[in-house]
Amino acid sequence: MGSNEVSRRLFLQGSGSFVGSAALRAGIPGLAALAQIACSARDSAAAFDILTANEAQELAAIASRIFPTTDTPGAHEAGVIWFVDKAMGDFMAPQLEFLRGGLSGFQDGIAGNNTFSSLDEDKQDEYLGSQEQTPFFGFVRFLTLMGMFGMSSYGGNRDQVGWKLLGLNPGQHAYQPPFGYYDAEHRKGESNGD
Amino acid sequence: MATESLVTYPHDEAVDFVIVGSGSAGGILARELSTKGFSVVVLEQGPFRTAADFNHDEIGVLFNGELTGGERAMASQTFRHDESDEAAPSPFRPPADYAQTVGGSSVHFSGNYWRFRESDFKERSKLGAISGTTFADWPIDYDELEPYYTRVDWEIGVSGAPGPFDSRRSKPYPVPPMPIKSSGAILERAALKLGLHPQPAPVAILSKPHNGRAPCIHCGYCMSFGCEVGAKSSTLATVIPQAIATGKCEIRPLSTVYKVNTNAEGKADEVLYFDADGQQRGQRAKAVILSANGAETPRLLLESASERHPDGLANSSGYVGRNLMFNGHSIANGIFEEQLNDYKSIQVTRIVHDYYESDPARGFYGGGGIDARPLFSATPILYALAATPPSAPAWGRKFKEAVAHNYTRQMSILGNTTSLALDRNNITLDPKFKDHWGRPALRMTYRDHDDDLAIAEFFRKKSLELFDAADAKESWSYPVEAQSGGAHLLGTCRMGDDATTSVVDRYHRSHDVRNLFICDGSSFVTSGRGQPTMTIMALAFRAAEHIAAAAKANEI
Repeated sequence: MGSNEVSRRLFLQGSGSFVGSAALRAGIPGLAALAQIACSARDSAAAFDILTANEAQELAAIASRIFPTTDTPGAHEAGVIWFVDKAMGDFMAPQLEFLRGGLSGFQDGIAGNNTFSSLDEDKQDEYLGSQEQTPFFGFVRFLTLMGMFGMSSYGGNRDQVGWKLLGLNPGQHAYQPPFGYYDAEHRKGESNGD
Repeated sequence: MATESLVTYPHDEAVDFVIVGSGSAGGILARELSTKGFSVVVLEQGPFRTAADFNHDEIGVLFNGELTGGERAMASQTFRHDESDEAAPSPFRPPADYAQTVGGSSVHFSGNYWRFRESDFKERSKLGAISGTTFADWPIDYDELEPYYTRVDWEIGVSGAPGPFDSRRSKPYPVPPMPIKSSGAILERAALKLGLHPQPAPVAILSKPHNGRAPCIHCGYCMSFGCEVGAKSSTLATVIPQAIATGKCEIRPLSTVYKVNTNAEGKADEVLYFDADGQQRGQRAKAVILSANGAETPRLLLESASERHPDGLANSSGYVGRNLMFNGHSIANGIFEEQLNDYKSIQVTRIVHDYYESDPARGFYGGGGIDARPLFSATPILYALAATPPSAPAWGRKFKEAVAHNYTRQMSILGNTTSLALDRNNITLDPKFKDHWGRPALRMTYRDHDDDLAIAEFFRKKSLELFDAADAKESWSYPVEAQSGGAHLLGTCRMGDDATTSVVDRYHRSHDVRNLFICDGSSFVTSGRGQPTMTIMALAFRAAEHIAAAAKANEI
């Protein structure tokens, strides 16, 4: 067993606990939360198709600083890294080498032979700030947002946490007026004869 | 809706008409000619999707170009601003941005259906020549087109109410305007405050049932997406099923046309294409109609060069591919205190046409219309990627807060403006790049005229004034700069009475090839004010009437 295996397991442990806490925050009843955790553990037990465990760990760490977990779910809960893995094996395949090369250069720039994921959050943010203008950063940001807000079938936006964060009701596909505050006000004005 | 045609024509027997393209013009021509009893084959390069195939997949539609031909389309076009540059494919989107699917771009458009005004057709006479441009009058006027605008309103389905500056209409709109959204309400209030005249936006989307079709359910996935309930008045949802029902029209999807052949008498007699399996096929025809859009139509004519037509088919004037016009756009964004929820329903519900006419007092040519719409805040990825306020950082906690808080509170005000016809803006065949069929790539060369940039800048400033009047919490705009692609593809086979300065006559018949007709955005002489599809459709209804009459009189 190589070191990749160890870090993959460590990565997956983290993943499971985050999903669990997201379920708790979302007020999911106990049994459902357990089922959810079991489910994500099963997902997690599957190896990444394209990314190595190290790559996944580092990219997930970057995504988590781009769209952090706060009192609401972020890139981690959305499973952005699973989106990235799936996309790189599919429609993003031509960009895989760019992503790999970019990540390697990104890691090389970190002082003291550290990896990004091993830094504390302040240090991570400081380093990420210095990389903001690089094409690699722009690409990972793009991937993060796609994994955060794309359809769940692409592997991210798990449980539609991205859409819920924006105030959307993911199950709803049709609406009726009033749509928002200002058109509601407009209609009131009309019925008052203003 | 079935995608199977009721008739299959043999390739080696000449049908009355082959129509290239099934979009706004091609769909209407197919229905008009087949209902009049002519045999019609429509060759469409995209697949035959129906309402059931459309979805809310932002990654697939907006980023992977599911409806616009994906990577293949990007590889089949190149762009450059100036003739001195070497053109190259764009990594982000095809420069000529159009849908490849039965129904063409009417499937994915936002449905803004402004009629032209009287002045649009005769602006050159009114304003005089503009040096360095090919600014000209149309050979037809508003009165000639008005009955066909009315047919679009009723037969295709347009929701709206008359505005204060609209040209004469012979019949009211068939269905009322779409319900106002918060973006529309905000624009209306601000415009009234500034003494302007906001009006409900006419759109090719049904507010009420009409012609047996269901109305809009306000799902919000409108711009760039196909409509899942058929409420968007695409040719797919309207005339194409009617054309098929005649039993005289065969729609052949996945058929990419690469050449129109002519015979010894100089008449078009066969259309060559790659079929769904990549095989080279030919369909014989008594007459050919090109409705492939303002980029692909001239490309096909140039590709159809032969010994008899060394500079391309129908190109004795040299005007094929020239005078490309996109329309200009300015974009400003604003954030408000309360939720707009502009991700719901259609894009535009209110417009302002006070600055429609070109005003010599401004010191430059141009005019346009203002609209309010979610634009970026209709779909989450696009919003987070490209539209958060400049006050927010690009990543991290504050970025996340800005995305989460503002997605439902943000809107855009757009200026939709004129483009001048210029010889330097054109479609040619790329000498270097080839598409996956091995054809030369479509090469687009485009640099906006200084007046086009000036009028877009004028509208950019007006949009910010409107956001101020609306008490936006924050507003900002994008700099006006030279465009590097467009979805409105106009002017490249212009109509005119003079065969030396136009490609088709006033009835869309090629000056050079008697049985070749061209009807789509390429027929335009001027650009209008940013919403061309209503006029493309009206031209198609009118063209069909004249083409059918000529065919019946044996004059083709």
